[in-house]
Amino acid sequence: MDATYRAEPPDQIIRENLGAIDALYHRRSGATHLVAAPVPQILDALAEGPADLDGLMARLAARFDLGEGGDAARQALGERLAELVALGLVRDDRPAD
Amino acid sequence: MSEGSRPDPQDAPGPDAVSGQSGGASRRQMLRLGAAAGAVVLTVRPGIAQAATSVLSCEIPVPDPARASQAVAPDGTMVPKGSTGAFPGGRTFTGEQVRTGLRGGNLPGTSYEESQAYLNYVRRLQHGRSGFTCYASLMMPR
Amino acid sequence: MRHRIGLAVGPATFRIGSAWRAPIDALERLYAAYPPVDLDRRVPDFTVRLQPTRPWRRLIRPSIAIAGDHMLPDAAPMALDHGLLAAEMGMNLQMALGWRRHVLLHASCVERDGKALVITGESGSGKSTLAAMLGERGWRLMGDEFALLDPVAGTVFAFPRLVSLKNQAIEVATAGLPPERLGPRLEGTAKGTIRHLVPPVEAIARMAEPAIPRLLLLPRFGFAEAHRPVEQGEAFVRLTEASTNYLALGETGFRALTRFVREVPAVALDYPDSATVLAAVEALWSEVA
Repeated sequence: MDATYRAEPPDQIIRENLGAIDALYHRRSGATHLVAAPVPQILDALAEGPADLDGLMARLAARFDLGEGGDAARQALGERLAELVALGLVRDDRPAD
Repeated sequence: MSEGSRPDPQDAPGPDAVSGQSGGASRRQMLRLGAAAGAVVLTVRPGIAQAATSVLSCEIPVPDPARASQAVAPDGTMVPKGSTGAFPGGRTFTGEQVRTGLRGGNLPGTSYEESQAYLNYVRRLQHGRSGFTCYASLMMPR
Repeated sequence: MRHRIGLAVGPATFRIGSAWRAPIDALERLYAAYPPVDLDRRVPDFTVRLQPTRPWRRLIRPSIAIAGDHMLPDAAPMALDHGLLAAEMGMNLQMALGWRRHVLLHASCVERDGKALVITGESGSGKSTLAAMLGERGWRLMGDEFALLDPVAGTVFAFPRLVSLKNQAIEVATAGLPPERLGPRLEGTAKGTIRHLVPPVEAIARMAEPAIPRLLLLPRFGFAEAHRPVEQGEAFVRLTEASTNYLALGETGFRALTRFVREVPAVALDYPDSATVLAAVEALWSEVA
């Protein structure tokens, strides 16, 4: 069963736009991250509420043109989410096996 | 900085990709989910070691004073004094000298084998040993 | 300790203690125009101690270990002849590790008409030399090593310590200046030959005055002249790399530096020689000020 991804609480991440990139300050870790598309868009989509990978794909597809190749896009999204989970910017409520 | 490459300004979203509000056109803006040129997240790393240690030169004792009664084996580990093939240590090198050594030069006043033994010792330094901070600052990028 | 002096540089005050007389004598001469600090009446922000590596090393093959409120492990001891340099390094270290009232930028800074030009770059980029030369050509020198960014007001405060000039830059930056403004030539330091320059009297007198940052310059010495605007994201990365206390300041530091790069344009400038960079700075400044 897929993981459920969950955004950090809304007051945890401060975002400032710096032109082509966004700067994020993560209060819980004290870390500063500089991010480019698609990260801010993924975080915004997740802010609507927890979702699994397919659910998140659907939210993004409703707002943006994700191009061709549904599987490639889905895999890419999975990779982005894994990176964000590793940094603590997204939570991964993986159900116990 | 961090190991991932920075988001390249050249890869900034083009005019029809996502950068702000859409203008109400029926076609949605493009969002590319793949990471074309390396990581899309760059995490700020401490500048302290780089900025503060550029202010002072640092040094690395080989071995650290707590182990002065031992000798340095060719692989950089500590062995009893008098062990075959081991070197006495008792030297202190500056960060600059060690940096040169790590790039292929010899540490001053040593033969090739002795220099390699001491450099292997430095490579094995752990947090808490004398010289570790100096070595760590050498290893930081830039 | 046997010998001591109190110093004020910008908003910070220091007690410098020394086991030897000579470094204190040098500091007394070169800091003569700075406001006095009476150590019997006030507690300084930081203490720096120039002490022997072992008790007998005060007299036998004397060698200075730099100590103080904030210290770096593994710091190499220094020759007694370089005592002035040791004291300056000790003060820099206190600021780099201990100052929290401002975001500390490893940058030089000059001011004109209440507006600041902030110059950031690695060692060897020429930022100290450039600031020293601009300070002799109508700009107020605010500092050659640190610029202090007020996280609330967004203004920049001065830290006009003795300017540290190295190697070839010494002749270039000090030509024609009177000897009383110069420290001793210190040869054989880790960075080559170093000579200190006392900032102009007006720079010292006005060291408490802040300025509004108007241009961030990222110079590179030794290249054909060229310049390009620097995007906000890149400027932000360069500034966080240049700040020793950015992480320690947490959210305050984040807001201060994001605001800075949004409000202050940044330009990368390559230059081959001092005449070129001085002209280029005036041209770039006229576009923003």
